[in-house]
Amino acid sequence: MLSRTIKRSALEGRWLSAPSSVLPPVFLFPQRARLFNSTSSIVDENTVPEPLKRSGISTSDAKNTVPHTQKDGATSASSSPPLPTPTSHNPSVPTTPIADSVRELLPLLSAQTSHYATVHIHARPYLITAGDTLRLPFLMKGVQPGDVLRLNRATNIGSRDYTLQGAPYIDERLFECRARVVGTESEPLRIKEKTKRRQRRVKTVKSKHRFTILKISDLNVKTVEEIEG
Amino acid sequence: MAFFKITLLRSAIGLPRKSSGVLQALGLRKRMRTVYHPVSPQVAGQIMRVKELVDVSEVEEPLSKPEMRQLRKPDPGFYIESAISR
Repeated sequence: MLSRTIKRSALEGRWLSAPSSVLPPVFLFPQRARLFNSTSSIVDENTVPEPLKRSGISTSDAKNTVPHTQKDGATSASSSPPLPTPTSHNPSVPTTPIADSVRELLPLLSAQTSHYATVHIHARPYLITAGDTLRLPFLMKGVQPGDVLRLNRATNIGSRDYTLQGAPYIDERLFECRARVVGTESEPLRIKEKTKRRQRRVKTVKSKHRFTILKISDLNVKTVEEIEG
Repeated sequence: MAFFKITLLRSAIGLPRKSSGVLQALGLRKRMRTVYHPVSPQVAGQIMRVKELVDVSEVEEPLSKPEMRQLRKPDPGFYIESAISR
């Protein structure tokens, strides 16, 4: 009799304690985990960027680079040194009308906050969001700490559910991306010993590269009214 | 005045001496070098001799070497919106 009650109490105890101890905590449930990936993303039709153009191979490439020559022709004709120093005004603002698909879907993208973008600086991509600190792999010429740069070449801009893909670049009127030059950073001095065979002389080569630090101050997608108004 | 824009795509290694001589005469010493020559029967004949090695197109004006370099340069992707006083 006593043994039976002990047995029963033990069984009941397991019943009672089972749901809390055996099952994993709520945040590990697969249904909850799936929420993060269940949303579908909409991507524009013209998602495939043009392949990187190789200059001088064929005549069609020469045709493609024609607008580029016109743009650069102004700078090279006016100033003899061909160094394209960062200008204080926007060098090129496209005047073509915005595509209908972009016009349709841009409100969806701009409605969702916290965007990311892939901006290209000297043709190198950097994935950024607002508030990021970006250490460029080079020392940017012609800028000083405190300058505000406007980044105007982006290949894609996205939010949680939508992505706007450029071909290859997004129209720069569609977004606003500013970065503040925070300062420069330098790596520790590297010393490389150069030796030659059968010679006692050891040459040391020092290198200490410096890098520009940018802070992305804002990144926002404009609405159609802002662009045209 | 029209010009031939001639780019050497393949080297003349292993070809007869004449081919490399023609390339020398055109001013093509290494691959991917681009030269401009005025359109004339003489230059056309030279191009015909090495037509398998070069890429030819006709342009209005020849470009200088710095100009060609400028064309290859990628877009900086930024401009200074507001500079601090220096």
